[in-house]
Parts: sequence; C-alpha cells; structure tokens
Amino acid sequence: MYPDKKSNNLISILIYCLTTLIGLLAFTYPLIFPAFNQPDNNPIPRLAEMPLMMTLLLGICLIVLLYEVQGQSVDAKLIALLGLLVSINAALRFLEVAIPGPGGFSPIFFLIVLTGYVFGGRFGFLMGSMTILISALLTGGIGPWLPGQMFAAGWVGMSAPLCRPVVRIIGGEGRFREVIVLAVFGGVWGFLYGALLNLWSWPYITGPANQYWEQGISWLDTLNRYSIYYLVTSLLWDLARAAGNFLFILLFGEPVLRALRRFRSKFSFQYEIPQADLAAENSQG
Amino acid sequence: MVNTWSWIFWLGAVLIGLWSTRNPVYLGLIFFILIIVWHLVKTGIEKENFEAGPPVPISPLKISLLIILFSAVFNGLISQYGKTVIFTLPAWITYLGGPFTLEGLVFGTINGLILSGILLAFFVVNLALPVHSLVRLIPPAFDNLAVIISIAITFMPNTIRQLDQIRESQAIRGHRVRGLRDWIPLVMPLLVGGLEKAIGLAEAMTARGFTHSEPNGSNKNLRISQVFGLALIFSGWLLQFISSSGTFGKGMIGLGLGLIIFSLWIIGRRTPRSIYRPEKWNGYDFGVILISIIVISVYWLPLLHLDRRSLFYNPYPAMTFPAVDPMVIFITLGLLAPGILIRFQGGSEYSSVEPKPEDDHF
Amino acid sequence: MITFREVSYSYPGTEKPALKDINLDIQPGTFNLVIGVSGSGKSTLLRCVNGLVPHFSGGVLSGDIRVVGLDPVQATPKVMSQHVGFIFQDPEYQFILDRVEDELAFTLENIAMPPEKMHTRVEYLLELLEIEPLRNRRINSLSGGERQRVAIGTALSLKPEILVLDEPTSQLDPQSAWQVLKAIKNLNQKTGLTILIAEHRIERLLQFTDNLIYINQNGDRLITGSARQVLEQIELVPPVTALAKALQIKPLPVTLEEARNSFSGFQEKASTPAHPPEKVSPDRDKLITITDLQVSLGKSQVLKHLNLDIFQGEILVLMGANGSGKTTLLRSIVGLIPLAQGNIIIKGKDANKLKVSEICLQIGYLPQDPNTLLFADSVEEELMVTLRNHQETGDPENPEKAQRSIQKALSQLGLENLSHQYPRDLSVGQRQRTALGAVTITRPEVVLLDEPTRGLDYTAKETLVALLQEWRSDGTAVLLVTHDVELAARVADRAAILEGGRITECGSPSVVMRSSDLFAPQIARLFPDTDWLIPEDVISGLGGSEQVDKIKAP
Repeated sequence: MYPDKKSNNLISILIYCLTTLIGLLAFTYPLIFPAFNQPDNNPIPRLAEMPLMMTLLLGICLIVLLYEVQGQSVDAKLIALLGLLVSINAALRFLEVAIPGPGGFSPIFFLIVLTGYVFGGRFGFLMGSMTILISALLTGGIGPWLPGQMFAAGWVGMSAPLCRPVVRIIGGEGRFREVIVLAVFGGVWGFLYGALLNLWSWPYITGPANQYWEQGISWLDTLNRYSIYYLVTSLLWDLARAAGNFLFILLFGEPVLRALRRFRSKFSFQYEIPQADLAAENSQG
Repeated sequence: MVNTWSWIFWLGAVLIGLWSTRNPVYLGLIFFILIIVWHLVKTGIEKENFEAGPPVPISPLKISLLIILFSAVFNGLISQYGKTVIFTLPAWITYLGGPFTLEGLVFGTINGLILSGILLAFFVVNLALPVHSLVRLIPPAFDNLAVIISIAITFMPNTIRQLDQIRESQAIRGHRVRGLRDWIPLVMPLLVGGLEKAIGLAEAMTARGFTHSEPNGSNKNLRISQVFGLALIFSGWLLQFISSSGTFGKGMIGLGLGLIIFSLWIIGRRTPRSIYRPEKWNGYDFGVILISIIVISVYWLPLLHLDRRSLFYNPYPAMTFPAVDPMVIFITLGLLAPGILIRFQGGSEYSSVEPKPEDDHF
Repeated sequence: MITFREVSYSYPGTEKPALKDINLDIQPGTFNLVIGVSGSGKSTLLRCVNGLVPHFSGGVLSGDIRVVGLDPVQATPKVMSQHVGFIFQDPEYQFILDRVEDELAFTLENIAMPPEKMHTRVEYLLELLEIEPLRNRRINSLSGGERQRVAIGTALSLKPEILVLDEPTSQLDPQSAWQVLKAIKNLNQKTGLTILIAEHRIERLLQFTDNLIYINQNGDRLITGSARQVLEQIELVPPVTALAKALQIKPLPVTLEEARNSFSGFQEKASTPAHPPEKVSPDRDKLITITDLQVSLGKSQVLKHLNLDIFQGEILVLMGANGSGKTTLLRSIVGLIPLAQGNIIIKGKDANKLKVSEICLQIGYLPQDPNTLLFADSVEEELMVTLRNHQETGDPENPEKAQRSIQKALSQLGLENLSHQYPRDLSVGQRQRTALGAVTITRPEVVLLDEPTRGLDYTAKETLVALLQEWRSDGTAVLLVTHDVELAARVADRAAILEGGRITECGSPSVVMRSSDLFAPQIARLFPDTDWLIPEDVISGLGGSEQVDKIKAP
C-alpha cells in the first residue's frame, strides 16, 4: 500500500510540474519565439502556426491537468462542494455588471484565492477553471480564448497555497496579516492574469507574419514590444482587476476564511471501517 | 435539428477555412456566410420552438466590425511598409511614426476578418447548441468533472434566487448597499448557505450510491504514459525550433499527443456507463458533415484538382487585386447548410411547452 | 427485514450518544412511522439503515444492524443504495441534473444499464409516481411536492425493497404534503415497498401506519406498536387523541373518523360557547391600515382590492391556499414591492413615502427562510448588526443602551445561554428565534411572520407560541401567516383568509376557520356546529370534567 501511494504522489507531482511548465511556455511563446528562430529559417509559416500551437499546447496541458485533479480520490462531498461553490462564483460573475467597477474589476477571484488557500491547490485549480467554464457555458462565451482563461484562472487557485508558508513566517493564521498577504497575492494575480491573457491574444490580434517580427531578436526586445502593446491595451483594465482583488480579499477575507475553516473542520474526514470490526466480521462470517 | 457533431465538423471547416487562406475575397465570403448563418439560427430558434444555447450579450455584428476596423488601423500604423502611401505620421512618434500605407491597411483588414470570423463561428455554435449538448460531449474519463459541471449549471437559478432573497432579508433589517463593504452581508449568507447545502446534496448523492472514486492507483500505468506524453511534447516542441522544417519535433509532439489521448480513451473505457438520450442522427446531419469535409479538403489538402494558388495572397509590397477561383466560392457556400436547416426545420428533444418557473414568493 | 440490536451511536466530537442500546424490528411490506422530538435521534436512526451513519457522518457506531441480511457498515452506502432508497427534507438540493427524465435516468446510466431497459424503467417510475406529465419539465420549475415525488422516483430507480424518508413534507404546504404522502401510501399498498418515515405532521399518516415507533428525548428508549398502543403512552398526539385522553375515552381514537364515532352525541350537550364573540375594544389603536391594495408580480396581478386592518395587541392569523399571495402581501407591507394601486398606512404615515429601512424600524418581518438573515459569528453579534444598520440611518443609540436592549431581547427569546454561539450551528427553532431577534431588536410595534412553523417540532412551536403571546401582551401586533391550522387555532385572536387576491374572511377564528375544511383544525371538524377549536375549548365548553363524566354515562 505505502510504496504505491508514494509513486502515485510522484506521478502527480510530475504531471503538475510538466503541465505548468508547458503551459507557461505556451503562454510566453510569443516572447521567446523570435529569440529561438534561426536567421536562415523562414519564419512565416512558423508565425502562422503560433496561435495554433499555443492553443494546442495549452489545451492538452489543461486536459491532462484537469484529468489529474478530478481523477483522484474524489468523493460526493468534494463534488457537491465544488459544484455549489462554482455556481456561486459564476453567479457573482454575472454581478460584475451590478457592482459598479471599471474594466477588469471582477468578483470571481477572491473566492478562487481563498478556497485554494484553505482547501488546497487541487481545489483551487478546479474552482478557477470551472468558474470560467460554467460562466462561459451559460453566457454563450465558448471560444478559443477559453483554454487560456481556464488555465490562468486555475493557476490562481492552484498557487494560492504558496501563501501558507509566508503566513506562517509572519505570524500565523487567524490574524489580519494573513488577509493582507492574501490580498496582495490576489492583487498581483490581477495583473498576471491580464498579462497572460494578453500574451494569449497578442498573436491572434496582431496577426501572423506581422512586419514587426524580426528574426533573432532577444526575448528582452520582444518583451519590450509586448509591454508597449500591453500598456496601450490592457494596463488600466488589469489595474482595475488587481485593485478589485486586493479590496475584495481585504474586506471579505476574514469572514470567508472563518466560514471555510469551520466547514473544513466539520466535514472533511473519511470513515474507515475499524480494523477490529473487519476482523471480527471475517471470523464470524 | 442539427446534431452536435455536425456542428463541430462545421466549426472545424470554418476554422480551417479561415486559417488556410489570406485571400480577402474568400475571407469576406466566409464572414458574410457566418453572419447569414447567425441570422438564420436566431430566427429559426424563435420560430421553430428550438432549444438553444444562451445568446451572447453583445451584438456579434458590431463586435466583428469593430475588430476589423481596429485591426486594419492598428496594422496600418504599425507596419509602415508598402508602396501605396495614404499619409505619413511624423517620425518622432515612437513606434508609430512613418508611412501609413494601403497595403498595411489591407493586411490589417485580413487579420481582422480572420479573427472576427473565428469569433462569429463560435458565437453561432454557442447559440445553436444547448448547454446540455455541450456537457454531453465530455468524455467518460472526466465523469467527476461532468457531475460538478452539471451541479453548477443545475443550481445556478437557485443561487440567483437565493441572492435575491438574501438582499431582501438584509434590507428589512436596515441594511443598505452603498459601498463594497456592504456586500459582506449579502455574500456571506450565500456562501455559508451554499456550504451547508453542499453537505445535504452530498448526503443525497451518497444515498444514491455515488461513491468515492478510487484513488488513481488503478490507472497508474496510464498516468505514467501521460507523463511520457507530456515529456515528448515538451522536447518535441523545443526540437522543432532547431531543425529548419521542424518535422522531427512536430512528429514528437504528435506522438506525445497521441499517447495522451489514447490513455484518456482507455481510462474512459474502464468506467462503464450507458447513455439514456443518445444523439439522434438523420440524413441532414450526414449532409452537413459531408459538406464540411469537402470544404476542409479544398482549403487544406491538395486533394481536389483545384488551383490552390488563389488561397495565398499577399498585399505587400504593392497592392494587387486577389485571384478568385469560382469553384472555391461555390464549395464555400456549402457552409450555409446548417443555418438553412435550423431555420426551416423544427423540433427539439424536449418538445413540451414550458410553464414559467414558479415564483415561490407567493 | 430491518433489525437493530443494542445499537448505540455518537456523532464525532460529542460525548452524549444520539442513540443508546436501541433494539428494533421492521417487517417487510409494513408502513412504519417514526416520531419524536427534534434532536431525539430520529434522523440518526433512519440513516443507520442505509449506512449514511456512520459512513457519511463519521462518529462511533456499535451494535448490530441488519438490513435485508446486509450489514450497512460493511456494505457501505453504495451497496445499500440498491436496497434502500432515501428521501431528505429539502426538496431543492437533492438533484444533480435539470430535467426530470434525465435525473431519473442518471443512476441507471452510472451502472451501465442497457438503453432499452433504462427506458422501460424510467417509464415505470414515471407512471408509478404519477409524474408522467412532468417528464420534460425542468426540475427548478416544479413545486415542492412535485419535486419530492421526483426524488422518490430517483430513489426507487434501482428498485430497492425499502424506502426511508426523513421528514419529506416538512418544507411543503399541506396540499403538496398530502400529494407526497398519498404517493408513499400507494407505493406501500401497491408494490409492498417497506416504508420507514419520520414526520411531525402525523394526523394523516396514522390511518395507514402499521407500526408506530416513538423515540424519546435521550435516544435510549423506543416505544413501538400499533398507533393506538403507542399514542396511549406518549404526549405527542393529535388533538382529537389528546382530547380523548383528557376525557378518558376508550378505545383511543387515532383519526378524525374514529373520533367522530367516539364523540358522537357530545356536541349537543355543549353548554357555553368557548369563544366569546370577537372582542374589539374601541380604544385599540389601528397600527396598519391597508386600503384597496393592488400588487402585481411580473405580468400577473396577485393582490386586488385588498383591505385589512391590524390592531395593537392582537395576533392576527392569515391563511390561504398555496400561491394565493400571502408572502406578496407581507413584502408589500414592508415596502419591498411597489404598489400598483391603493395605500398602506403605518401608524398614520403613508408607507409609499417611507424607505424600507425606515419601515422596518417599526415593523419586524421574519422571512420564510430565516437563514438568509444570519451571517454573524454569534447570536449577540447578529442582533448588534441590525442595531448598527439603523444607527447609520440616524437613530442614535449609545453603546450601553444597545447592550441592554440586546440582553433584554436575548432573555425574552430564551437565548441568553446561547448568546456566544455561532447561529448557524443552532437548532432550527433556535435559529429562528435568533432571526426574530435580529428583526425585532428595534422593538417594532408590528411583527410579521411568514410561515414560521416550517421544520419546527412540537416543543419549538410551543416556545414560539409563548413568545408571540408575550409580545401580544406587551401591545405588539402580530401578523402570522401560516398553513399550520392547529397552531393558528391555539394562538389566534383574529383570523383572515386570503383568496383570489383579496381578504375574503376576517374575524373571529372560530368562524373564519370553519369557513372551509382546508383551514379547519381537527377539533373544529369534529364538532362543526360549535365554535370549539382546540381540546381545551371542548372541555370548558362541556362545563369542566365533572360534567363530562355525566355525558359519557350511557
């Protein structure tokens, strides 16, 4: 039993790492592509297939990672909990219109961060990706942007447990500083999310074989050009999102964390048939 | 009624068509076809008692035109290349200074057409396919996910109704929403209520035999093959940069992909389930699929004896009029098929008259 | 079919066992009704049958349980689900899919039943539960009773031998409840399905109960037997049985029909009417006057030309069929819905000119689901939240005064010992009183309660009644919307009926409640030509117990 569990965990870790790595590469493809390209190669067909490659790579990573997180020891409690929390979060997304907020101001991230933080990376990933999927399904928004959005939102939740050691260092749970750490985390992701999605749409929007691609330029140069693009298009949007996340977590963090922790302490356990009973049964039967 | 799979083939044909050509005439044609199909589907849904997916909240036509416009102008400003100059921006404006050319404009329009075509195609499929058809597509390896998705969709109206009730309950104890902080008394009962109801739902599911799915021990070997698949993809992707055509690298990617898909398929076969409402197929569905395959062949594969040169077009360095092959135009028109079918065929799987959901505030 | 031997169980983290040394035998094909106060271990007992206890709830279980020869603990709920179907209280949160037919097929799909067999089975279930016309409906659009019948359908999809139901009708109105109970009775009679059902509303079930099982407060004693045998030994009995017990009439009538036989001839011997005609003291203040009210929800006109007055120091009970607009009326009074026509005057002021936050200073409204109110960390804090809300609307309260109000309210509500508890962990009755505290902390002169008796057991109802009566003697006006006619009979000073969008009857309860069988308590239906509503009325109406002996003598 025991060595099996260890190898299982190893496989899980490998899958998490590989999918994250490939996913990141897929997102940053436009940045590193020119650097990789050799001067004597014809870049046009490569450029043309770039968005396609990105979608493909990202899609397959998403699929593998999704299978991984939902395949293992999932019981009715987890499924019901995720189902209902996702419906709440997706409903909150509809409120984006009701809450007066500029640009990318979005109420969906605070629950993703907080549930990922309390219940773990697996839960957080599912919470993020499924919120995006469900709201897309219900608003007719299925499209090629979906894998990118799902992956990025999933990462938000999956990376939330990274805050745990930070919180431990600065004084532990249950105090307001915990909320501050999470709020900053949410704010940073507000920007990151936008930046990633922008990278995603950049090749689509500017089109392949655009004249300002040059072969052999370093990734710093491309990053430079990307930053200009980013500034023009989405900085303000992402600023609104980052500020929103920060505020939401700052304001709602304490009561939400309390509620989630109360829930976790009451309901997360598995019932094991006591070994003594089993032995007694076997001897009688 | 057009089948889910027919729509998927149609979508594939449209996407491949958009991807394979840069000829603005063909692209414009596909664009117009999409607008027409959109319109047909919309009217068909209203008239023929169809079960449809949710419409997009924004007008697809407006968004498409916006995208084309933005793309055209943006590219005109950025590229600064081409013989036919329309006007020139002073050079001291970083990045944008330089000649604004017709070729740049046209190139940008082409990009815009492709992008908005992709969007429109997805909008149409979203509209034509009800949510449960899409959920049904989820492969058996992802059963747990499918249940989560079903639960989230099923309880969405409850959640919204619950939020309304909470708003009223808080109002009658003097609560008013003026700032962000005032959302706490609205979100918290919703969240805590959701957590409590989740336990009730889980209990009901357990009582119906829903069980603890086995930890992935039994599928260990298949997961290992997924790891290999990913590794292959990763290395293949790196490799394809090294060689000039990248075929070896691409081959590795393909192999990795195949491995992963195969493992998921096997895992799916291990969970036996049957389908209560299988997709219905009729002659029209096969027709749509056939048309889609023909379109794909024309645009992508050098199968039919067509002059494929008309597909490639480059406005640079000097703007020329694009070559047009009437055969391609004719075959592309086939993409109108599902729209026509939806507009003039009736019926849906659920053909009963829906009473309005009861307002339980009575 | 089901046996319990020396079964004891404690929930995780609790000292006191929920069940202690319980022994029970249930025969196949029988209809078994389980009764007992809340928290007595009814739910626990039921959940032992299919293994939810202990697999879902954790904790420590000892003793021996056999269900159709299996041990639920060893077999786990997955296996038991093939033999035991389980129905829960909440009609809303038992489904995964949205359409009736799909939901019925879901369990079958998961066991890979071949499609033709699935179709036959689904048709069978639709017919069995008489829900064939609902097959394509969205579950969200169904009424509570219809939903529970669909839930029963899904529970029976694997054709189990036993059906267990944990208070399946407590969230339903009487008509829907009767639909569901009838369906269960039919299942038992037509298919021989063994039924094990826990319920509070037992009057209608007693007539086809084979076996009545009573669990006491501590969960350590069971009284089982025929309905009559058990009711003789316990206090939790329907009104006609309580009356018979008080008058020592044998054999003990268990249903209204039996009571008619036992009490024949009593009616004529009545001396004085129980309820003097409605006393309207001329100097009682009119707190709320509603004139010619018209309210629409969406396209339909719910209330038309509605007139009603609410006086100081009275308990006015409002009844009406499901969907008649009672909740709409309450929401209009509090200002949550705009009025199409007519006006509502609250203590001399036109409600149209007031904001909701101003109105609720003077009117406390308890909504149907009090959980939508509660979100604070303690009971005390919950009351504090309301006070703070109102402070911001310009009502100055210094902190000590606030603390004193809170303490006073807590003691009146019987919650002093629970003031630091997390409200959502409390029992249904305690949670309701917390919610009541939250809406009445500003000491409003009018209190509106919307179906407060849902899910309450007898003791909790008594506590509520005492609270309402205390408020009434303080001069508060109480408008109580309820389906529970027995409770209404005990507590009403005046009664009104809402039908067709207007108040069709309003006045003395003994008259109003007799206007239709729907609203008449058991005693009223037993003695239609009197104005008795509750057993106490009968006894006093017959002139005390000495007189009764004379009447009983042949």
